[in-house]
Amino acid sequence: MKSIIKSLSSVKLAIVLLIIITLATMLGTFIPQQRSPEEYIARYGQLANLFQRLQLTQLYKSWWFIALLFLFSLNIIVCTLDRFSPKLKRTFRPRLIVEPKEISVLKLNDKLRKNMDLQTAKKEITILGWFGADIVHLGILTIIAGGIISGIGGFKRSLTFNEGNVHDIPRAEFKLRLEKFETELYPSGAVKDWKSTLTVLEEDKPVLKKIVEVNHPLSYKGYVFYQSGYGWNWTNPSVEIWVKKRNDPSFLKKIELNLGQRIRLDGENIDVAVLQFIPDFVIGEKGQITTRSLEPNNPAAFIEGWQAEEKIFSGWIFARFPDFDRIHSEKETDLAFELKNFKAGQYSVIQLSKDPGANAIWIGCAVLMIGLVFAFYWPPREIRAILEESHNKTEVLTGGVATKSKDAFKSEFEQIVNTIRRSK
Amino acid sequence: MNESTLFLITFILYIVSTFFYFVFLFSKKENRAKTGYTFAFTGLVFHTAALIWRTVESGHAPFTNMYESLSFLAWASILAYVIIEKKFKIRKAGPYFMLIVIALMALASSPLMPKEATPLVPALQSYWLWLHVSVTLLGEAFFAIAFITSILYLVADAKEKQGKKSNLPSEKLDSISYRCIAIGFPLFTLGGLVFGMIWAYKAWGSYWSWDPKEVWSLITWFVFALYLHTRIVMGWKGGPSASIAIIGFLAALFTYFGVNYLLAGLHSYA
Repeated sequence: MKSIIKSLSSVKLAIVLLIIITLATMLGTFIPQQRSPEEYIARYGQLANLFQRLQLTQLYKSWWFIALLFLFSLNIIVCTLDRFSPKLKRTFRPRLIVEPKEISVLKLNDKLRKNMDLQTAKKEITILGWFGADIVHLGILTIIAGGIISGIGGFKRSLTFNEGNVHDIPRAEFKLRLEKFETELYPSGAVKDWKSTLTVLEEDKPVLKKIVEVNHPLSYKGYVFYQSGYGWNWTNPSVEIWVKKRNDPSFLKKIELNLGQRIRLDGENIDVAVLQFIPDFVIGEKGQITTRSLEPNNPAAFIEGWQAEEKIFSGWIFARFPDFDRIHSEKETDLAFELKNFKAGQYSVIQLSKDPGANAIWIGCAVLMIGLVFAFYWPPREIRAILEESHNKTEVLTGGVATKSKDAFKSEFEQIVNTIRRSK
Repeated sequence: MNESTLFLITFILYIVSTFFYFVFLFSKKENRAKTGYTFAFTGLVFHTAALIWRTVESGHAPFTNMYESLSFLAWASILAYVIIEKKFKIRKAGPYFMLIVIALMALASSPLMPKEATPLVPALQSYWLWLHVSVTLLGEAFFAIAFITSILYLVADAKEKQGKKSNLPSEKLDSISYRCIAIGFPLFTLGGLVFGMIWAYKAWGSYWSWDPKEVWSLITWFVFALYLHTRIVMGWKGGPSASIAIIGFLAALFTYFGVNYLLAGLHSYA
């Protein structure tokens, strides 16, 4: 047991662990994490199996990575405690009576003879500076603890809402309703913001209403709700079609119709129907018509024209390419059709997360930063001096140590010695 | 006068500064280094004006795409250099450090970098953009100085072993590297890791997602933690310390550039 503690208190172990953890962490960025087994086989061939067995494909959750972090935390705890009690003693109950021998062994020391009376010795210690590193370690341990709590007790879900939808919140009593969802655009057409108006329902009664945006989540009873995405609901779009005549530039008729709807063109004795709408039109490898994505990158509509019960034309029109259509006419007509606009519902994706470790993380971060400031901006130094009276003269034996910025301390110490030397 | 003119003037001033620093390096005339410093400082003033101009014009922080962030990193580097030069008189590091700044400015002005200010995507619309990026890049600027002084240390040390003396002794370079890291490390921790975690929690819903950029800033942090522990606790100095500082800066550089181009992840803005 004693030997275990002794090896855990070794800084060398800490350094070795730090190097191993760093290398392992790097490895995890070069092997894509948490992909499908097929992808690994395609990428690494025969090695894929080995990688998966060593959990290199989910490295940061692997038992050996967590074991390394655990060992490292223990190492930090033992190292810090090991140095803590002598440090405490040194800071709060410093031995003020020192032997000349003890000063001579200090790295920086000097012997002066002053032409003055004996004064009292002064000790100069920046107390908190001594504990900077310990405070930093405490912060890091708190952060690791927070990470463990998050890992065990935290969870995330994605909830997809159409306007008006209500969802039960898992492991909680309340419900959430999406009142309204809007996408704001910049004049250029790029997305400026997504806004979901959410209402919290307790026993079906609204208790809280908030507009959730990216960077502005809703917090309620330990749950946080984020705007994480959006999508188009293409089940029932409506389209706006402009009808023109090739021989009559002044002719323009605008019609708006839903999928499957059939509308009579006034005065033309023709019915127009929209049978299909595709948000991102593409012709597949086998010649089939399909959509490349669910984004409206190349919206297209399949329309048909009827004269009584006779179909006179049918084909595709494209919003992005008004001059290009694929309309097949059975009968002469000088009508031309443009897909001008479309409307479709958008759904909002709200991510909920419950992260009981988050507060520990923030406390840990604060402690860590306080420690760093103490350690680096008030680096500790200790200066000791023995003043001895002999024949009306004072002999000053002084020495000092610093754990950080040793070179800077050296010049500081020399300055102090010179000041004493020059003073009368 | 507009932002790109100010940027160009800045760039020219930095080039002139670099020129004088190199003249100093070969002629050993201290005055040339002083001229170089003056030009660098004037450049900093114009650069500051350019950044303010851009902020006012675009209405958002001047580091939302690669052009802006390179320009800001160059600005932070000059700022860090001016501070360190005032304090420690490391003129000999000037010419080499200015080369890094020139490289950053040249990359920023390359035609591959789109210059126009685009409106912010939703995720970047937050005051954490200011805090996270500016503090992180300022920390990295100090790492950059430590990188140069560490390389100079290795060179000076090799020369001293052959019995040649230099006016910037290796011992001083070693100490300056440490001081720069002692300034940069808390800044990098605060800006890169702490502010980054807070913002990630607000925008993405989790403070840590093992995203490649997050992981690489952690790796950078580990390397500098290693530097500090080997130095403070185990008493390493000189060559081994300088090597770790160099690796640390390379890790920071990879976090900044490499991750964007080689590894895909959440941090796909800049």
